[in-house]
Amino acid sequence: MVLKLVVWSILAFLLMPLVIIVLFSFHASPSLSFPFAGFSLRWYAEVLGNAQLGSALLKSLTVAGFTALITLVLGAAASLAWLRLGHRGRALLEVLCLTPIALPGLFVGVSLLVLFAQARVQLSTVTIVISHVVLALPILIVAMRARLALFDRSLEEASRDLGASQMQTFGKVTLPLIAPTLIASAILAFAVSFDEFVVTSFVAGTETTLPMYIWSMMRRTVTPLINAISTLALVFSVAILFIAWLIGHLRRRSAVAGRTVS
Amino acid sequence: MRMGGLLAAPAVLYMVVFFVVPSLILFVYSFWTAASYRIVPDFVFSNYLNSLMSPLFWKVTINAILIGLVTASITLVLAVPVGYYLVYVSRSQVILYLILITWFSSYLVRIYAWRTLLGTSGVLNTILIQAGIVDTPVGVFLFSRFAVAITLIHIYLPFCILLVVSSLSEIKKDLVDAARDLGASPLGAFFRVIAPNAANGLVGAFMLTFVMVAGDYVTPQMLGGSSGQTTGLLIADQFRKTGNWPLGAAQAFLMFLVSIAIYFAVMGLGRATGLVVKRRPIGKAGG
Repeated sequence: MVLKLVVWSILAFLLMPLVIIVLFSFHASPSLSFPFAGFSLRWYAEVLGNAQLGSALLKSLTVAGFTALITLVLGAAASLAWLRLGHRGRALLEVLCLTPIALPGLFVGVSLLVLFAQARVQLSTVTIVISHVVLALPILIVAMRARLALFDRSLEEASRDLGASQMQTFGKVTLPLIAPTLIASAILAFAVSFDEFVVTSFVAGTETTLPMYIWSMMRRTVTPLINAISTLALVFSVAILFIAWLIGHLRRRSAVAGRTVS
Repeated sequence: MRMGGLLAAPAVLYMVVFFVVPSLILFVYSFWTAASYRIVPDFVFSNYLNSLMSPLFWKVTINAILIGLVTASITLVLAVPVGYYLVYVSRSQVILYLILITWFSSYLVRIYAWRTLLGTSGVLNTILIQAGIVDTPVGVFLFSRFAVAITLIHIYLPFCILLVVSSLSEIKKDLVDAARDLGASPLGAFFRVIAPNAANGLVGAFMLTFVMVAGDYVTPQMLGGSSGQTTGLLIADQFRKTGNWPLGAAQAFLMFLVSIAIYFAVMGLGRATGLVVKRRPIGKAGG
């Protein structure tokens, strides 16, 4: 009972700031403290009328979309490789993936900046996408690894024994089995890219993503307008998480259904 | 096997080109020199030596280490009960998803949230004044080490909880039940059965949190005021403002070395206190 109380207090600590942010995004007055002066949607109206914000959002969506796509393709191939690799191959993949996760974003950011400068690559949307894939790909592979530990390779062998070609086996057996987890992981890659700030600030050049726009506003002032943007970003993250959960959930159900049939 | 190599190649190549190579270039850069906004290939140790002899570098590094150690410790202490609850008491999906929601809520938004909470006209101060606890707004909430610590804890706690959950998941509930049957209190069961078995995972969680927190320069910059200068900010500024990239590169690697040194110190401390033990095969003494 004491433990439960402790756990819920810690959860309250985690959630309280978010609740406050959402609450004051509906505040009728520009002040960000109690007493609460009543509800209004004026800050949301201001968000919708802000063209700079719209272009930053569009930039972030584009970057996150490309990041998720590239990560998905590279990660899908690496996941299939994972099933076929020996110990040493797996160890190599693991080191390549775990090291960037265990390093602060600052390190990744400045080393990419140095690479682009040395290769004389102009900083642009392309360099942002390249950098985000460096962050998202390891996360996708680590997430896939946990799932693939349960993958039964005899299913592939059975398919080959029954006369299917390697391509047919891939298309009709392997891919359908790993697809839901892959898509869920790609959605997480999208979320990682959408929220990324530290690495982006080094490799963005003159481009402005949504987090960078929020940062420039935050530095200047404190206004419920930022609360409204934050609330929308929060709703967006929760929606992404929900979609990823839904796909994972459906996968589990279909896996169970498949087992009863066989 | 050949097929596996072929499929892994694109991802491996990508990580080599955009992670390994840049890290190596950064390392090479740390021996170069910067003269009047131009970077000159060279082989000197002056970037390292100058940093090590600069009082400012030590001041901000000690600041970063202190913030890192204090924050990572508190974060782990808070993460363990939640992890324990999730693994051994109730696999509550609600709690898990509440944690994931905070983990996926924007990094900057959470910094901003604490800024509005702790400000002189912020939520915390208005509540304290209305409750009659203080007469004038408390200024030290914002732009202090306290503000930095509480925000960093808030940002990295969900991450740490997930690490703790994964390291506790390896320890079977039977072990805990056995200890309880033999008369251990819940805390006793934790310290004498779970902690030694999960020690490596818990130290890993602590270290990962430490590295993230000590390297985070945005939070100290936004909430730390004059006390918010950390090595991370110093390094970031070398790459953004002053433009001495080689010096920044050297400082990044020094920070990296400091993290490794702290890892060994924590492991050494763990061994000395008997909390971390080398895993022995079951059947032999100990366990």
